[in-house]
Amino acid sequence: MAFPLPRGITPPEISFLAEMEMVTILPRQRLEGLELLGGPVEPLIPPRRASVPLWLALLLKRQRRANILPPSWLHPESLSFILDIETQYEEYKETFSPPPPLPGQPFLHDRGERAVATPRFTPDGDKYYPAPPFLPQNVARDHVPAQELQTLPFHWLEVGNMLLEAASEDLVDPDQTRRLLKELREVRMAKIRSGVDALDAAAMGGGGVALTGVGAIELGEGRRFISGVIDGLRRIGASREQARREELAEEMANGGYDATQDDDDEMEF
Amino acid sequence: MSYYDIDAILTDAQKLPCTFELDVPGLGILEGNPGENIKAGTRIDLPLWLGEMLSIGARLGTSRLVTLDLPYALSDRVLNALKADPRTVDLRSLAPHFYSLSERVLELFEEEEMVDVLSNTFKKRAAQIADHAHNPQGALGQGADFLRGLDETERQLFRATHDSAKETRVWAGESKKK
Repeated sequence: MAFPLPRGITPPEISFLAEMEMVTILPRQRLEGLELLGGPVEPLIPPRRASVPLWLALLLKRQRRANILPPSWLHPESLSFILDIETQYEEYKETFSPPPPLPGQPFLHDRGERAVATPRFTPDGDKYYPAPPFLPQNVARDHVPAQELQTLPFHWLEVGNMLLEAASEDLVDPDQTRRLLKELREVRMAKIRSGVDALDAAAMGGGGVALTGVGAIELGEGRRFISGVIDGLRRIGASREQARREELAEEMANGGYDATQDDDDEMEF
Repeated sequence: MSYYDIDAILTDAQKLPCTFELDVPGLGILEGNPGENIKAGTRIDLPLWLGEMLSIGARLGTSRLVTLDLPYALSDRVLNALKADPRTVDLRSLAPHFYSLSERVLELFEEEEMVDVLSNTFKKRAAQIADHAHNPQGALGQGADFLRGLDETERQLFRATHDSAKETRVWAGESKKK
């Protein structure tokens, strides 16, 4: 109550976090390698491509020292493809287009396949599996699996907006891209809003809200609404929940419900 | 619910119809005629906190002082209207803290059906609130009638949703910061 700021993090904070994403640049000038807290940056030697954090890429872009290669999902073609999926297909009526798979994990579509995660190694030789936000989801690659073109990374809106703002001449069709991003956002926002029906189950326990594939900004925008609705429903249903608990406790006390529990008690003596 | 929560305090002050079971000497001031006695069977609207305390005797085994009744805001008529169409009911004129009041009342009464009706109402209206909150004109455009009928819980939800939508728009550069 006393803390003046509302719950959750604000959009500027989210986009600040998004600046940690790695993007691919095409340097125009030489730059020696940098030792940063977030990891070393390789030396920039034109015309060799390099992966740098987004904030550094934007800085170099503003100083006209580099060009940014847009990630493959930020192409008007793949964006309009995703928009089609979100709007046309019946099965995506209430869900969002899937996030990119974790490295080595099978796609959401083919659940049957086994995961073959490939570990990476730290300089000390320890094994680790990279997870968002430390995945190269926004770097330009030569070969992108066709399935991955249909996915939006976690920070899609932030990265897209920042690139449109600072590096629009590096993008394929900036106006079209801007329009598509906006449309996508509206379609997905409407889905979040219409998901209130599912929130009831979440408030009563046992249910959940599927937010797979929702981006960071969208979560930030919807957070206060979603948590507000769940809290309201929880408070209305509190008396029923209480009654249910008492019933359960009574059944437990009568002993007919859980015989194994009694055995455990005897073991302790 | 915190001790200093102003909404909880205001909820406590809402009236609940009570029927006195006993004669109480000298309490006529509640009825509007000071100095008189209150007779058994008198119906008076008492604040929630007082009615709750007076009716609690039944649980302690002594004879109780008053019996509680459902307030008008949660009467059958209102619930039927909510069942028919949750969106057209003006909750604020029924009770400014409608949901907090019903939460407290549900603790006192066993009303299985009321929980269903109220959850359904809240859900339907929340969807409507979200639509209005994303309207850049805010509470001034059409739908002002609906927004005037929101109770305090819903108003807070509206405000939170509107603020986060606005912050995102400002961040995206679609609207100016005021």
